[in-house]
Amino acid sequence: MGDLGGFIIMNHKELIAAMATKMNAPKSVVEKLLETTIATCTELLADEKTIGFQSFGNFEVRKKEERLSVHPSTQIRTLIPPKLVVNFKQSNILKDKLKELSS
Amino acid sequence: MNKDKISSQEIIDLVATKASVSKRAAEEFLKVMIATIEDALLAGDVVKIKNFGTFKLQWNESRKSVNVQTGEDILIEGYHKVSFTPDSSLKELVNEPFAHLESVQLDGTVEPKVENVDEDIPEPFRIFTEQASEIKNLISEINALSVNTKQEEAKEEIEEEPETDIEDEDDLLPIEEDLEIEDREPESVINDEEKEENDQIEERIIEDYEFEQTEKENADYFEIKDEETTIEPISIVETESELVSVSVPEINSKPVVAKVKPLKRKSRRKSARVILILLLILFSATSLYVLYTPATNVGDKAIENLKITYNIIKDNFSVTDMLNEVTSWVTPAPKQLPKIETVVIPKDSIVSDLLSAEQPNDSLQILFDTPRVYPEFIASERIMKGSRLARMSQRYYGSSDFWVYIYEANMDRFNDPDQIPSGALIRIPKLDPRLIDASNPRCINKAKELHDLYVKKPVIQ
Repeated sequence: MGDLGGFIIMNHKELIAAMATKMNAPKSVVEKLLETTIATCTELLADEKTIGFQSFGNFEVRKKEERLSVHPSTQIRTLIPPKLVVNFKQSNILKDKLKELSS
Repeated sequence: MNKDKISSQEIIDLVATKASVSKRAAEEFLKVMIATIEDALLAGDVVKIKNFGTFKLQWNESRKSVNVQTGEDILIEGYHKVSFTPDSSLKELVNEPFAHLESVQLDGTVEPKVENVDEDIPEPFRIFTEQASEIKNLISEINALSVNTKQEEAKEEIEEEPETDIEDEDDLLPIEEDLEIEDREPESVINDEEKEENDQIEERIIEDYEFEQTEKENADYFEIKDEETTIEPISIVETESELVSVSVPEINSKPVVAKVKPLKRKSRRKSARVILILLLILFSATSLYVLYTPATNVGDKAIENLKITYNIIKDNFSVTDMLNEVTSWVTPAPKQLPKIETVVIPKDSIVSDLLSAEQPNDSLQILFDTPRVYPEFIASERIMKGSRLARMSQRYYGSSDFWVYIYEANMDRFNDPDQIPSGALIRIPKLDPRLIDASNPRCINKAKELHDLYVKKPVIQ
């Protein structure tokens, strides 16, 4: 596990490895399933659908309206166009679990 | 915004069919996946999933707030929050409908996007039309003067000419004075369709005239001609016109060519305006001749006209006047000589380059300017939830920028391109391939121009 900015990173491979051990399944199978899942989620999100994982949270696409930004030093005003972003909102179950962590 | 919520059960079904595994296996997998991510997060880890994004635990500090109803100060305790940062590939995919939008720098109240379009395309044309009108004025002046053939006026005018030239195009070297004039000529001709026929007729006369002249003077001017034999008919015609101006028995009798040259220049000064006209006309005519390969036969009537103009030209060239002039300007000006000679060679290539560059652009501009009609349609699509004209454009025309044309073809039924009701039938028009050339920045610019026209942005101050 690597270290980045104080956080310990679990990357793609490590996640697969951790899941493989939990499921008692070969890594290749887990990897394939994960890829399929991610591809499915990505597709759905691209269609502006909201994905809800119970006990985990919701992935949804939000539209950021266009805005006017001013460069603080050069005073150049820039019109930022609207864009669609993926937003994740944790579920209450996960929130409660995290509360326990902090307390 | 679409609020269809996909539950985890639906995800499981989809994954099961896609990966051809049982639903139970998929369900177990999903559960394990979420549990693993959760565990890692609870352990303070960052979880990164390829092509998807990064999950990270974020600590929100406790902060003070005010109860809106009671006005009491309350303390919101610090808490952990799972933040998700989508991967760049996911970001791009999700943002696809707005991918064609770019951030725009606002300079005052004007949008640079619009400015760019103005600068990129119409600017050269503006310059050319300005120059064309200038040349026309110049020519009319010259015509008026050549009738009078007043020496003083001629001098003044000659002094003025280089100035105006330099003003027009500062970056051009003074040696290219003549060249500049030639440069602009083709444009004026293009603008002024009527002139073409006259030019061609005049050209013929002059060519005839040249023949006579050259036959007489071949011996004397052999050297000069030799210098320019590499050049195509156009330039020869031009040198001929110079010869015409000097075609005086006295000069011919002078044996040394070197002496004739300065005289030529002198006489040219006097009749510079006349020569200029001739040069301009000749050049435009010959370039047109080359470009359009005239199939127009000069009928009997035309020949009569030719004769008349021929006489007029002859009158303008009144030989005795010229002689008087030449004698009054005794001192030669050898410095000016190189100008005449050096200029001749590049003229052809540049003019032809200019024309060849101008021609396709022109046709494209005409294409842009003509109101588009959509008589033919290559396909029609029903608008679904999440459908985008830009995506259709990407599919049918190869670039999302050209969605404006789809909208234009359906504009009679929809007022706002952003609010086309789902279920509506959109017809995809058949377009001129030149209009939707994604590799041509002019096409893109034009599409963006239309885009700005149709997508009315709210006024921001």
